[in-house]
This record gives sequence, structure tokens and C-alpha cells, in this order.
Amino acid sequence: MDELDLLKKDWNQSSNSHKVSARSIYAMLHKKSSSIVKTLFYISIAELVFWILINVLPTFFSKSYNEQLDLVFTNKTVLTLINVFTYAIILLFIYLLFKAHKAISVTDNAKKLMQSILKTRKIIKYYVLYNLIVLFISVIIGLYFGIEHSPEVSDKLTNASSSEILVFYGICVIMVVFFTLCFWLFYKLLYGLLLKRLNQNYRELKKLEV
Amino acid sequence: MNKELEHNFVELLEKHQNIVHKVCRLYTNNYDAHNDLFQEITIQLWRAYPKFRGDAKFSTWMYRVGLNTAITLYRKSKRTINTQDFEGVAFKMKAEEYDDTQEQQLKVLYQAVHQLNDIEKALVFLYLEDKDYREISETLGISEVNARVKMNRIKTKLKTILNP
Repeated sequence: MDELDLLKKDWNQSSNSHKVSARSIYAMLHKKSSSIVKTLFYISIAELVFWILINVLPTFFSKSYNEQLDLVFTNKTVLTLINVFTYAIILLFIYLLFKAHKAISVTDNAKKLMQSILKTRKIIKYYVLYNLIVLFISVIIGLYFGIEHSPEVSDKLTNASSSEILVFYGICVIMVVFFTLCFWLFYKLLYGLLLKRLNQNYRELKKLEV
Repeated sequence: MNKELEHNFVELLEKHQNIVHKVCRLYTNNYDAHNDLFQEITIQLWRAYPKFRGDAKFSTWMYRVGLNTAITLYRKSKRTINTQDFEGVAFKMKAEEYDDTQEQQLKVLYQAVHQLNDIEKALVFLYLEDKDYREISETLGISEVNARVKMNRIKTKLKTILNP
């Protein structure tokens, strides 16, 4: 007899050792889920809020930041356009995330369910990437204008020897690399831990199709 | 959610709960983890229930939600600690129906199945539940041919574990 047939015989004859009462089932219905989709949903919200705050807070609370902005953007129309673009992108991501979360259905087949979750995670990834690129460009522009328009800094740079300038740029590069690495590590850990099992199982399913 | 819906759901789940227990039994190895997964599957079933159409069988629908929760959605709860051996929640055959060698073989078989990965377990589960390859392929989202090929590989794998 086939091994699995032996198992099947036992499997179908087995009786349940712990039956859950209707009362316990009622209680379970009101318990909180600990599914990865729920965690992913909270992470999406946290990402949205975090990056919106990073974008918006300085303009509301920092006088010097606004002064800097005025310095960089002498043309108000450009600043308004950038603002409109930023909010449009945020709205677009909110819409895409909402749509992706709605598309996750536990009644889909296993592969499709995994794909929907991975798609949601991809949208968050793009959102974070977009913000990091914007942040990176802002820092470059900020540095450039800081150097150009601050008499103190430009004086120092004019008087600095080429090796000192090299050190200055070296430090800038190291800082950028360091923060990028920190971000990368943080996201790798966050999503790596959350989606480890899903990724493994998805790879396994994909392997079957080869 | 209205009371009637809740009542119907609880009644159906209580009747068919063995399916959920069987999923839990394959994917967990201790009592706490079993209960934890049972609860998560119940929550997922309940959430999906308003969209459940009567044209599908409740039990068939349960297989899908149960397996999806076990394979994809479930995140092991922190309170789950491996304290109790799986045997504690194992199902046993009636004494007169097996001899010692068969009992031993079954024990090793269950242990072998536990060593399989999540996807392999899902295939074994559906096979043990007498599902045909069409339903297995539809539940997992793979082709029927691939389901068949994989099932054969699992059988060989189990054979190797049992007869090294």
C-alpha cells in the first residue's frame, strides 16, 4: 500500500481531540486578527503619514526653512507647481494603496493572494523610493544653494585647499551612503521579517511552474 | 454584521470545524499554536463570510480560506512557544485497527509530513481530503499537471524518509 494511502486511512478515521464550542467560536469572531495583511496595512498608513509629515511639517513650522525656500525659488509659480505635484503624488499613492489593499482576498487561490500582497508591498516600496529620491535631490539642491548663498561657507570653500575640499565632499558622500544604508537595512528588516514566509512559499509555487 | 449572519456562521463552522482542525494539525506542532491558528482562520472565515455565495459548498470554501491563512496570512503569535509535543494533539486510530508496525509507520509518516514545506503540506492535505487534481490546482493557483507532478515527488520524498 502507498504510504499516503495508509495515512489517508488514518486521517479520515481520526476524530477530533478538541472540539471548539459555539460559544468559543462567538468569542473568537470578536478577537483581533494577527495576519500579515493587517500589519502591512498599518505599515502603509505609517509610511504615508511619516513621509507626508517629512514633506509638510518644515513648511508649517520652520521659519528658516521657508526663508530658504524663498531663496531657492524666487519664482512663486515654480514652488506652487512643485507643491501641487507633491500632493498629487501623495494622493495617487493613497489611491493605489487603497486599491491594492482592497484587491487582497483570502478567497482567491494561494498564488493570486500572494501576488496581491506582494503588489501592495511593491507600491509601498515605490512610495518610499520616490520619497528618498526627492529627499536626495532636495539635499543636493539645499547644499548647492547653501554653499552658493551663504557668504560664510563660500568664503571658507574659496580659502580651503583642494585636499580640504576633497575631505568636505568625502564627508558628504559618506553621510549620504550611511543614511541610505540605514534606510535600506531598516526596510530590509521590516519587510524581510514580515514577508519571509510568504516569499518562501511564493518562490516554491513559482518553482512548480518551471 | 447582523446577528442572524453571525448565528448562521457559527453554526456552520461548529459543524465543519474538523477541516480547520486538520489544517492546524498540519501546520502547527503544539497545542497553543494549534489554537492560535484556529482562531486566525476563524477570523478570516468570518470576515470573508458576507461574500460567501451559497453556490459553493461551505466546506470547499473553508479549505481555501483555511489553507490561505495557514500558508500566507498567518503570523506566528508571540505567545506560541514549543512546549508541548505535537503528539499531544494528534489523532489516533482505534487500537484494534492497527498493529505495532503500522502504528510506528504512521507515527513516522506524520513526522515526515511535518518536515515538508508549507506548499507540500497543502498538497498533501488536499490529497488526504480526497480532493481531485483540478480542485488542488484551483486552490493553489498552479496547473493540474504541475500539481500531479509535485504530488508524485512528495510521495517519493515520503518513501525515502520512511525507507532510507
